[in-house]
Amino acid sequence: MTKKKLQANSLWLLVMIIGFVVINLLVYVGVIDSFIENMLVTIGINIILATGLNLIIGFSGQFSLGHAGFMAIGAYATGIILQTVPTVGGFIGSIIVGIVIAIIAAIIVGVPTLRLSGDYLAIATMGAAEIIRVVINNMKITNGAAGLFNIPQFATWPVVYALVCVTTIVIVNFAHSRAGRAIQAIRDDEIAAEAVGVNPTKWKLAAFVLGAATAAIGGSLHASYIQTIAPSDFGIMNSIALLIIVVLGGVGSMTGTFLAAIVLGVLDTVLQSFGTLRMVIYAVALIVIMVFKPSGLLGRYEFSFARVLNRHKKEDAA
Amino acid sequence: MSSLLQVEHVSKIFGGLKAVEDVSLHVEEGELVALIGPNGAGKTTLFNALTGVSPATEGTVTFNGVSLDKKKPYQVAKMGIARTFQNIRLFHQLSVRENLQAAMTHRYKEDFVSSILRLPTFTKKEALVNGWTDEILAKLDLSAVGDTITANLPYGTQRRVEIARAVASDPKLIFLDEPAAGMNPEETADLTALIRRLQSEFGLTVVLIEHDMSLVMNLAERIYVLEHGKLIAEGTPAEIQNNDAVITAYLGGGVHA
Repeated sequence: MTKKKLQANSLWLLVMIIGFVVINLLVYVGVIDSFIENMLVTIGINIILATGLNLIIGFSGQFSLGHAGFMAIGAYATGIILQTVPTVGGFIGSIIVGIVIAIIAAIIVGVPTLRLSGDYLAIATMGAAEIIRVVINNMKITNGAAGLFNIPQFATWPVVYALVCVTTIVIVNFAHSRAGRAIQAIRDDEIAAEAVGVNPTKWKLAAFVLGAATAAIGGSLHASYIQTIAPSDFGIMNSIALLIIVVLGGVGSMTGTFLAAIVLGVLDTVLQSFGTLRMVIYAVALIVIMVFKPSGLLGRYEFSFARVLNRHKKEDAA
Repeated sequence: MSSLLQVEHVSKIFGGLKAVEDVSLHVEEGELVALIGPNGAGKTTLFNALTGVSPATEGTVTFNGVSLDKKKPYQVAKMGIARTFQNIRLFHQLSVRENLQAAMTHRYKEDFVSSILRLPTFTKKEALVNGWTDEILAKLDLSAVGDTITANLPYGTQRRVEIARAVASDPKLIFLDEPAAGMNPEETADLTALIRRLQSEFGLTVVLIEHDMSLVMNLAERIYVLEHGKLIAEGTPAEIQNNDAVITAYLGGGVHA
């Protein structure tokens, strides 16, 4: 049992390293130009943001539309700090500051709103994200509606790649532990979960806070990669763009979130040559997928090396 | 005052409706008590008041010497009271194993860092939890369906899983709300045996709401009868069967059996 787990974990580590080496090699050889690299980084940041949102929506069952708000907190923390301390240390520090502020904001937003459910919660979280955006829009330190320019670029693609791996490991391991079982129980039946000793407020808040923290990381990377941020980058449409990734991949499937982020990222890049027709094709593609796969590309399917290894063993035995 | 569960003068009032009125009862440790009454008598309301789902308007409930007043449902569960529901409430997207393990979360601690980094303490805790799960699955004959998603199980098995989940939360007292509802005679017979085992093998105190009189008369050591929110009779199955007030409540006035 433990041996098999070790094998599966080593395989995952191998996949992460091979992915890194291959992309690095392709950059070195020149197959990946700055155009494709930009696409890869965007996909990476979207994966970080969407896995956090999937934890909130798919695993704890809380329909949140406020993800862009927490992303804005991370982005502005990094933007402001990097303009005064343009060092690697400043970048790391700014990510931590962003996470801490996002956690505090998530607790303030979560405690009253997580009593709501479904559409009501969606509207409340959307409102909370708007409040964050409006506050940023009117503060001096954030440079108001004009936003921040010339943020030093520390979020190169290896940094983004490493953080994709880290946040994914954190979220997946969280979802497959005592905490994950508690939040999934609440998602399926809150009254029954309470009747077996699960404190719904505590666990819903835990999932919400962790999701918000990853959103802040995504925001920090966004700010330091794009180098320009403005309050309008973090509106309701950005929350919905992330929601699309989660729903398209399959609510509750982290593998699906990865797949959807990659598919949409590639589609977005490929369609750039189509000009204004791009949004039409993008929309049609989304509608077609939702008509033929209403539960998302992968539904609730989760890829697992442990299962593949098990199947292999069984076939060998047979 | 040594009763495991002591209910004193509990009332539950919804607006102008007294759903439960001045009910006092007690359950001793290790007992198997049934609560019966016609539809709408307030049985489930009383259960909900006792487990904190919708707290009683008046009266006190003491469990194991501790007052349950103002306790939230999850706190009541942690104190050792488990329950099943009249209409099955399983975690339907989770497997049977995960259903049981979700009920065990308050039995052990697992900190964030060790579960994220999969430290040895985490592995040890998971092994412990898996051990508990295997044991309950084996004892309740559910090992074969351990990895099945509960939504895909037949009705009778779902009922069984719900009882298993209640057992998994390591209770002293278990409330069963109409466990035999919708079951065929064969399943009811299995269930009767299972409830008996909860008492004998798991050492649980059982309080049961049920309409299936054969099951109640077969199992219960003591019976409370509720009608229109009031307790109208208490006694052994034999006493209840010959109680005029109970016969009137079930069959209407003027009928003598």
